[in-house]
Amino acid sequence: MRGFGAFLGKELREIARTWRIWVLPGIVLFFALSGPPLAKVTPQILESFAGSQPGVIMQLPTPTYVDAYASWVKNLSQMMVFAVIIIFGGLVTSETKSGTAVLVLTKPLSRPAFVLAKFTGALVLLTGSILVGALATWGVTLVTFGEAPVGILARTTGAWLAFGVVLLGVMTLVSAWLSSQAGAAGLGIGVWFVLLMLTIWEPSVHYTPAGLVNAASGVLMGTAPDLAWPLVTGALMVAGCVAGAVAVFSRREL
Amino acid sequence: MVDTVPAIRLRRLTKTYGDAHALDGVELTVPEGSVFGFLGPNGAGKTTTLRILTGLARATSGSAKVFGIEVADAGNDVRARIGFLPDVPGFYDWMTAEEFLRFAGSLFGIAGSTLDARVESLLDLAGLTDVTTKVGGYSRGMKQRLGVAQALINAPSLLMLDEPTSALDPIGRKEVLDMIASLAGRTTVFFSTHILSDVERVCDTVAILDRGHVVTQAPIDELKARYGAQKVVVDVTGGVEDLVRDFEREAWASAVAHENHTIEVTVADVDAARRAIPAAVAARGVGLVRFEGGEVSLEEVFVDLVGGDR
Repeated sequence: MRGFGAFLGKELREIARTWRIWVLPGIVLFFALSGPPLAKVTPQILESFAGSQPGVIMQLPTPTYVDAYASWVKNLSQMMVFAVIIIFGGLVTSETKSGTAVLVLTKPLSRPAFVLAKFTGALVLLTGSILVGALATWGVTLVTFGEAPVGILARTTGAWLAFGVVLLGVMTLVSAWLSSQAGAAGLGIGVWFVLLMLTIWEPSVHYTPAGLVNAASGVLMGTAPDLAWPLVTGALMVAGCVAGAVAVFSRREL
Repeated sequence: MVDTVPAIRLRRLTKTYGDAHALDGVELTVPEGSVFGFLGPNGAGKTTTLRILTGLARATSGSAKVFGIEVADAGNDVRARIGFLPDVPGFYDWMTAEEFLRFAGSLFGIAGSTLDARVESLLDLAGLTDVTTKVGGYSRGMKQRLGVAQALINAPSLLMLDEPTSALDPIGRKEVLDMIASLAGRTTVFFSTHILSDVERVCDTVAILDRGHVVTQAPIDELKARYGAQKVVVDVTGGVEDLVRDFEREAWASAVAHENHTIEVTVADVDAARRAIPAAVAARGVGLVRFEGGEVSLEEVFVDLVGGDR
């Protein structure tokens, strides 16, 4: 694991000093800041639209903080999934394609340390972005609705973050395996689609990482099953993916 | 006398990609302390050899040792002792040269005043001391100089450079070659290239690789003497046509050419030619203005060895 600390330091500085600090956190913050106001005005917009249609009468309940949180969860479950897949599709391939991997891996930086540092740096970015987004969602929801319980938002966000980390593990593996960022992203979408399909089979929702796919909305609505098994198998899946990434990348010729 | 372990030793090294043989039984020994030119046309297998030596690729069969350590099993043991510059080095564009050198040093575990001193001296060596722009804004020549500098951050026992001048303009080439030449005697330099003049300028020993084989390896002077039939250049005051006919009849002359008052004789027996030519000139009663040996160039050796059927 020689070189892990030095290379992780490079990863974190790279996040702070390049486009990476803007894209993922920017997407998250956009959703966090726009979600609660949109939740507030959506019923008025829909009622206004319905009023312009002859014979259509629409009555919607008064929006609450739950609608703001639901908007946050919806954006995480849809747009953020694609953002994570596309951005982290180049996690390892970007370094092999640009030639930087050759320069650092001919120094005493082991390939396992290289892969683990890439994963850890991405994990810091993903977690930090989601936490900042959750904080922003809480603040704007409080301002917009005058009420914003912390506990339910924390559990909801944590449930999605668990799924986000599973996706990150998958992207680490496919990015170490394939030489193309687009190919890695395509395969990542394929894995996500398989997990999505597995949610229609009840046992997989209770015992596999597929249970994390819709866990955030389930937690918010109070309909989520016990997440213990999905969390355990999800953690195993992440560990397996990262170990697989190390194994694949260690055998890869550069 | 104690046998020193060679810096690099390759034995029956092969690398295949499907049916293609990139390396086909390469035999090579690079003595410690030499500035070694690894010469070959494009596609000869130079980069593949370097990739195996640096652990970026695995050999199909055979042995590749650096300082007596098998590269395939060594990992960091070998990498800690080498410096490497790939043909197209990839840098983090957002770093400055100093930041990159510090980062490279940290990967070797170098820190504190040692790192400070090395970074300062290498920035000076690369001519980048006062450059504060990020690497993304560098010219190709600046990147190559930084590439050589980063390869020296660990004061390596062996510096391996893959085509370090191939894409540079004449000024950039001169700067990089000057850097390499300044390392002679301080570290072993293994330098792959297809540019013959670069090898002649900075290397003391050379190996020529062609289609995955090392076709020859020797000190440059010895190589020229061994593979090139030597030439003798004679300037005379007159009687050129007669002298050319005289030389063509001699067994020691394998080819004779002339232009104005200059005769160039390719000789098979140098000693015989040295005795016979002045005698022949004197016998014809003409003046001898110049009589000197002219060794063949490395380019002629190279073309003779690898260029025959291209």
